[in-house]
Amino acid sequence: MTASRSLHLGGPPEIEVKEVSFTYRGSTEPALHGISFVQRRGEIVGVVGPSGAGKSTLVKCLNRLVPSFDNGTFAGVVKIAGQTLAEQRVCDVAPLVGMVFQDFESQLFSTNVAHEVAFAMEQCGYSREEMVQRVGAALRAVGLEGFESRDPATLSGGEKQRLAVAAVMALRPRVIVLDEPTTDLDPQGRAEVFALIEQMRLQGATLVLVEHDLEALRVCDRLLVVRDGRIVADLPPSELMARVELLESCRLRPPDLSLLCERLGITPHTQTLEEAERAIRARFRICATACESRLDYDASASSCLPVTRVGQEANKGRQEALIEVRKLTYAYPEGRLALEDIDFAVGSGEFVAIVGRNGSGKSTLAKHLVGILRPTRGQVLLGGRDLSRLTVAEISRHVGFVFQNPDHQIFAATVEEEVAFGPRNFGLKPDEVAERTQRVLAAVGLEKLRFQDPFLLSKGERQRVAVAAALALNPRVLILDEPTTGLDFFEQRRMMELLTELNRGGVAIVIITHTPWLVACYARRVVMMERGRKVFDGPVRQFFASSELLENSAFRLPEVTALSRRLGLVALTVDELVSVLEARS
Amino acid sequence: MPIYLYLDRGTLFHRFHPTVKVFGLFAVFWTVFWLDHPVALAPVGALLLGVAHASRSWANFRRLSWLLLLIVFFTSLVWILFFRVGAPLAKVGPLWVSRASLEFGLGRGLKLAELIATTIIFLSTTKVEEFSYGLRALGVPYRVGFAITLAFRLAPLFIDSALEVVAAQSLRGHEFRRGGPLSRLRRYAPVMIPVFMGALRKANNMAMALEARGFGHSPRPTSFAEYRFTRSDLFALIALSVLASASFLAYYLGWAGIKIR
Repeated sequence: MTASRSLHLGGPPEIEVKEVSFTYRGSTEPALHGISFVQRRGEIVGVVGPSGAGKSTLVKCLNRLVPSFDNGTFAGVVKIAGQTLAEQRVCDVAPLVGMVFQDFESQLFSTNVAHEVAFAMEQCGYSREEMVQRVGAALRAVGLEGFESRDPATLSGGEKQRLAVAAVMALRPRVIVLDEPTTDLDPQGRAEVFALIEQMRLQGATLVLVEHDLEALRVCDRLLVVRDGRIVADLPPSELMARVELLESCRLRPPDLSLLCERLGITPHTQTLEEAERAIRARFRICATACESRLDYDASASSCLPVTRVGQEANKGRQEALIEVRKLTYAYPEGRLALEDIDFAVGSGEFVAIVGRNGSGKSTLAKHLVGILRPTRGQVLLGGRDLSRLTVAEISRHVGFVFQNPDHQIFAATVEEEVAFGPRNFGLKPDEVAERTQRVLAAVGLEKLRFQDPFLLSKGERQRVAVAAALALNPRVLILDEPTTGLDFFEQRRMMELLTELNRGGVAIVIITHTPWLVACYARRVVMMERGRKVFDGPVRQFFASSELLENSAFRLPEVTALSRRLGLVALTVDELVSVLEARS
Repeated sequence: MPIYLYLDRGTLFHRFHPTVKVFGLFAVFWTVFWLDHPVALAPVGALLLGVAHASRSWANFRRLSWLLLLIVFFTSLVWILFFRVGAPLAKVGPLWVSRASLEFGLGRGLKLAELIATTIIFLSTTKVEEFSYGLRALGVPYRVGFAITLAFRLAPLFIDSALEVVAAQSLRGHEFRRGGPLSRLRRYAPVMIPVFMGALRKANNMAMALEARGFGHSPRPTSFAEYRFTRSDLFALIALSVLASASFLAYYLGWAGIKIR
């Protein structure tokens, strides 16, 4: 902690939450159970926990969105800068507490950046002179100076989220709450937002940050772990991250370094790559010069690594091409090229991850594989047949597609009806529909929820309903557009294990993802897109060994891979690195 | 895909005071409302073509041309065939047209085209914030004005969402164009439900974000944008008033209607 920051932290309480409980209307279980905590001025507090734990409900209490917006029974006291918020309207709390939401599309209302930043000040009746001065300052603070006249709709995801931060900063609130601000962003956008948070930290801002990614939360002073509406731990990041068991019991993904230290018995747990490298070199007597000579990827070096990744157990190698893309070019109606000269094939039994920044052409390519989009030039072949000669319905018998947002397809009254919809459309007999529905629901683990209303399920469960609906058509290839967005670690792992299981059963899997550890742990082949072109197509290990590719895709290396590269290896999982190190010792 | 029709071109029409723009929108609507005969509507159409050219709004006309042509064509056709007044000029089976039905049908099509064209020009030259400001200046309560402008902001998002839902359901073998009209309508349920649920969720998120940004805090919100009323605005107001009055006069004197022979 820097000296200037430690000065901020001794300040008076900025947030006081005393015995806060809340039960949503119509629910029997409280979402929050007598929660209390204090946050001092200049402190950054991270709130973590599984989906449905009450994190968002808790932070919404800080600006009265709960109970003003979400009706229910509220008890307890929330004070911001000494002021009790009871009975205040949400809009009256805005000058005290600013909030940035996950969905950046829903929080931008204006047609240019400067107006967007000024919006809250207009609502609070500021003079124009004051607004002009503050708009400039807020945009400078988030690095969007010069963007004043840009339409927010034309900004990247990261820029939009930084704009949302500037829009709340302009009111100079005492506290800024960021509720999962990076969930919908690509790695570049995430990096931008976390750089901004780091900058705000140094400037002494009081921040509350809800986030799933623990590794990113090392920036915080304290982490509150929320489970079943209660705070089960309130610790500095270094202490919390060392408690691997607690994290796993709260469905959180322990940072790779903590897991590695736990597995290797290194205490105290290291917090940085440098510390971890030193500890491992000392422990395993690894010679620095010998390792440096192997820093670059080469196939022989990596082949000495044991095959322990989940995905590789099912590796059958590429067989016949199910889908083949030849010289595919696609231009939008206004003429802008979205894809250019793509050659790409998916074989049976493959597990492919398509990566790249937002707007690089990943989803556009995937939509061509199911005939939602038709090529401007080039061909897409499905089992040797030109896709343009087939209807979307015909294609969907062979290729399943799961959209990023499962709510774009769910409409039926029960999970079972939802899954049976596809087979019925293809005119299958009722017995066969029932048999398929039963089999698919068992495969995705939704048997017990078959009579539930799908709209009442969690996001992870709804995502599984969408996968089940696609699987009910018996596809040979399943394409999933960011299937783990918005899911907690437990749900992400469950989804990926489901896909691995399907892959073992012979279904080729193609996922579009921004999550490095998912690629490292589950995929066997990476296709990287950049500005509409395919710039890499090869094994996962080769991808993670290339600094240039990682930089261009804005992927943050999984900690274990970053550490292993410092040691001259390219390990993709903690298990892999532990095996190699133990073999050496 | 850009979500607004606004085109940042900096023409005279873009620079008009928001009040003048909003007044202009209603004045042209008023003008068109009183005219029925295509000959009476033609000069207004010519004027709008000139404004579209001068305001450099053609890009949006091209973007929406299919919608414009489709609506105008079918409106004209339906009125020509079903406005059964006057002596028949031509007859095919049960269908016949008269001079009056031709004039009335073409007039309806032209009227609709002019209303759509006015809206396109208005949205091409007016930012959402200006629209809101203009409505307020004309006495519309702030919240109402803001809600109207928000609808413009949301409509393209819902259209995008609906297109994705249609794609998702097609991939599950759903055919939308099977059966009669009622059956087809029912077949849109798998689209309408997700779109409606998504719209509710989005509207709720947006309402939360609005309140969290202080919407409603002050009874008299201020304006970041500064608009100056110039001489051009005054001339435009006078011209629009003259146009609107002339149209009403033409209607009053019976020059703009269809004469049945």
